[in-house]
Formats: sequence, C-alpha cells, structure tokens
Amino acid sequence: MSRSTRFDTKKVNSELVTLTYGTLVAQMVKDLENPDDVSKQLDRIGYNMGIRLIEDYLSKTGSGRCLDLKDTADKIQTAFRMYLGVQPNVVNWSPAGDEFSFSLDSNPLTELVELPDDLKQLKYCNIICGAIRGALEMVQLDVQSWVVQDQLKGDPNTEIRVKFIRRLEDAMPAGED
Amino acid sequence: MSLGGRNRLSILDKPLSKGKGEVSLSCFALLFSEVVQYCQNKSTTLPDLQNRLHELGRRVGVKLIDLYFVRERNGKRETKLLNILLYVKSTFWKALFGKEADKLEHSNDDENTYYLMEKEPVVNRFISIPRDKSSLNCAVFIAGIIEAVLVGTGFPAKVTAHWHKGTTYMIKFEESVVGRDSQTDER
Amino acid sequence: MTVHNIYIFDRMGTLLYYQDWNRLKNSGMTKEEEAKLMYGMLFSLKSFVNKISPTDPKEGFLYYKTSKYTLHFLETPSGLKFVLNTDNHSQGVRDFLQQIYKEIFVEYVVKNPLCNLNEPIQSELFKTKLDAYVKQSSVFLTKSM
Repeated sequence: MSRSTRFDTKKVNSELVTLTYGTLVAQMVKDLENPDDVSKQLDRIGYNMGIRLIEDYLSKTGSGRCLDLKDTADKIQTAFRMYLGVQPNVVNWSPAGDEFSFSLDSNPLTELVELPDDLKQLKYCNIICGAIRGALEMVQLDVQSWVVQDQLKGDPNTEIRVKFIRRLEDAMPAGED
Repeated sequence: MSLGGRNRLSILDKPLSKGKGEVSLSCFALLFSEVVQYCQNKSTTLPDLQNRLHELGRRVGVKLIDLYFVRERNGKRETKLLNILLYVKSTFWKALFGKEADKLEHSNDDENTYYLMEKEPVVNRFISIPRDKSSLNCAVFIAGIIEAVLVGTGFPAKVTAHWHKGTTYMIKFEESVVGRDSQTDER
Repeated sequence: MTVHNIYIFDRMGTLLYYQDWNRLKNSGMTKEEEAKLMYGMLFSLKSFVNKISPTDPKEGFLYYKTSKYTLHFLETPSGLKFVLNTDNHSQGVRDFLQQIYKEIFVEYVVKNPLCNLNEPIQSELFKTKLDAYVKQSSVFLTKSM
C-alpha cells in the first residue's frame, strides 16, 4: 500500500501526519467550540493545501488538462495514492455522469482516531473534500465535495462525493476584453 | 457505548498498526504549513506563536511515547539519561523522520544541557532560513515532541529550537535528572 | 549558448518573478510595463495560435524565434506561465522549464508556507536555488560562440 509510486515522491511516516492532523483538529475543537465551524475550517484548510498540492501533482506527473470527468476521477485516484498512500475506488457515478464518489477502506488521517460522542457531527475528513475542491479549481474545474459516509461514525467505508458544477474560464489580462 | 444499534468496532478492538505506513512529504509539508498559519492567526506575538507550536508538538509527542514503546519495546522504557537521548537520536528519529538525527552533543559549560542537531528538519525543508536568524524556527514543533517524550519517560527537561548549524535543539534537563543518573551509576 | 532571462506569471497575469543573466539590451520600459506587455502578448499569441490552427492545436504555442533569440513558453494546466529567453542554439529548453517548475518552483515556492502563490516571490531560498539551477544547466553552461 505504501510503496513509493512511480513518481518517486519523498515520504514521511504516516503517523506523524495522523497525529499532527489530530492535534490540529483537537486544538480547533477547543478554540471554536461548535463542531460545524470546525468542519468548515477543515474544509478551508484542505482547500489551501489543494491549491498547492495540484502544482506538485502536475509537475511530478507532467499531466495535461483533463479530457472529461472520468479522467479527472482517475487522476484524483492517482493523487490519493501519491499523497496519502491509499487507493480509493471510484464508485457511484450519477446517471448524468456529473457526480461520483471515492470510497476509502483505509485512511491514514483516521488511523488512530476515535470521535467522542459529543463530536458526532464533526466532519473529520473534510480536509480531503477541501483539497479536492481547491486542486480542481486551479485547473478550471468548479466542483462541490462532501463526506457521504464516514468510518469514524461506524460506516464500513469512508465515501467522499464529488459533483461537477462548471468549467471556469481562463483569466484575461488586465485591460483587455 | 451504544450507537443506535450499529455494531461499531471500537478503535481498541483493532490491533495496533505496525506504523510502517507512509505519506508523501509534500502532503505533510503543506499540512504543517497550515498548522503554522492556524497558530499564527491565533497569536499576537512571536513568542506566543512559538509557544503554540511547541504545545502542539508536545501533544503529538505524548501520543508517540505510548505508540512506540508499546509497539517496539513491549512497554519497557529507558532508565539511563544517555540511553534515552540515544534512543531519541536514533530509533525514535528514524521511525518518525526516516533517518537518525545528525548529531548529539553534551554542553561544555553545563552538565544538564545537551544539543541535538539536525541540518534540515523536515518542517524547515521548504522554508527560507532568515538572514538574521532571530525569527521563528518552526522546528519548535519538533522541540515540543522531544520535550514530551523526555518528560513523559521520566526525564523532565525543557527543549527549545535554535537556528544554529541548521537547527539545534537545546535540551536542558532538570538538575534532579542528572543527579539521579549519577547516583544510579555508582551502584 | 546563452540564457537571457526568465519571467514567471501566475494564472491571473501577475508577474511572480523576473531575473536576467545575460541581458545585453533593455526594453526601456519599467519592469511592470514590460511584464504587462509580455503577458498580453502571450495571451493574444496563445489564443491566435489556437484559433488559426488547421488541426487540433494540442499544446498550442511553444516558442517563437527571431534572428537573435528564442522565447520559450511553458504553461502548466494550472495556468502558471514560465517564459525563458535564450539564444537560438539552445536545445531542450522546454524540458528545462518543466524541470524549473518541478524542482525549483514547486519545492521552494509552492511548499513554502511563507510564500503566497499570487504575490511576487520574495524567498531568498528560491532566488538562490533558481540561480544555481540555471547556471549549472547545460543550456547555460555551453559556451557561446
């Protein structure tokens, strides 16, 4: 699972990430009190990471723009493997082909985590949704992403949904139209 | 704990993972950068920011003690000062960062003080080292981890991070620690 | 062979970085004016090239060449634009730009929490690394004739 990919990226121990992330979330729960606010902030943090991770991804894979949403799903799947060392399945395509899910049976972020009962509404993995949204926005794809199923809440898998909204236009240089 | 009839496997029912999982360095670097920014937004001064990072590091360290000592040593801990320092420098560092720390030195002036050096800590790899070297060293987070490990294993100390030969962690043990160590030596 | 200068733009057209090595003649404009003109030209040329293309343009505009120099252009799917001016003998410059993106820009700007992605790059580390990287490259090293 954790063997290095063909893109030969440098690795760190996943527990360092698990615990660092867990400590951050715990601090936020303390600071913000309301779990919904924490979920929102986790999404934003993911977004900030996504807009940078995409550059790393593009530079390492030499990948071009996506041909279609299917292609996008495949590329994000590769990204999961590169960055989290896990391989989710792409499942549950909507009939219109504009929505799909990633199904994760393991996830380094939640490896040592148990949610206490009073934090059941916390979306611990929202950081992944934010990262997907941020990364895709940088390649002109506007999407929504949210957690559908969560292993921390007793679901058999963690399922992350992605919905295509629209294609963004290239920015024009100042003073031209 | 009942969960509306769901049969949930508690984390305690699962075997402890071997801890061999790996995540890309880029991913950690960006996560850590968000941690720094989060702390920065909460802080008004540089020492404040440093304290927050140190504190977060300590909380990570506390959890690592149990994880590592249970997993690798059957819960057996070190009793000698030098052994715990060597453990931190080699085994612990290697498990966490994939390599040993570069150097361990005993201070010439103070027998309670040790220096652990690392040219390029993982948290600083992508950060410009400031010219004046007075500003924040994010490795204070790692200093927090070390401190928690030492304190938690019975060697109370203060650990700080400094810009010197890359990054140097200054480990200052409480007087009693060194005293105790020389007593056990005599036996 | 010679590397003259580099421009890096973000997706909104902000000049993130400029540096020259062997620039023998200046445009007589301020750096800001020059950058704006450069970005406008790239934008127009790119859309012109795609519009006029008799077949699928694929990657589109890659470089232009004058009797004295060649302007090499690399645009990432995320809209970052790297421009490198060299003399006409340099080869493999596009790969070289891709390497600059991967080895220098991503490592020392994208992963540096202190660098904002849409502001001019201030990082000393990036400047030093880029300078060293260009100077040790085969594009730069081969002596001019």
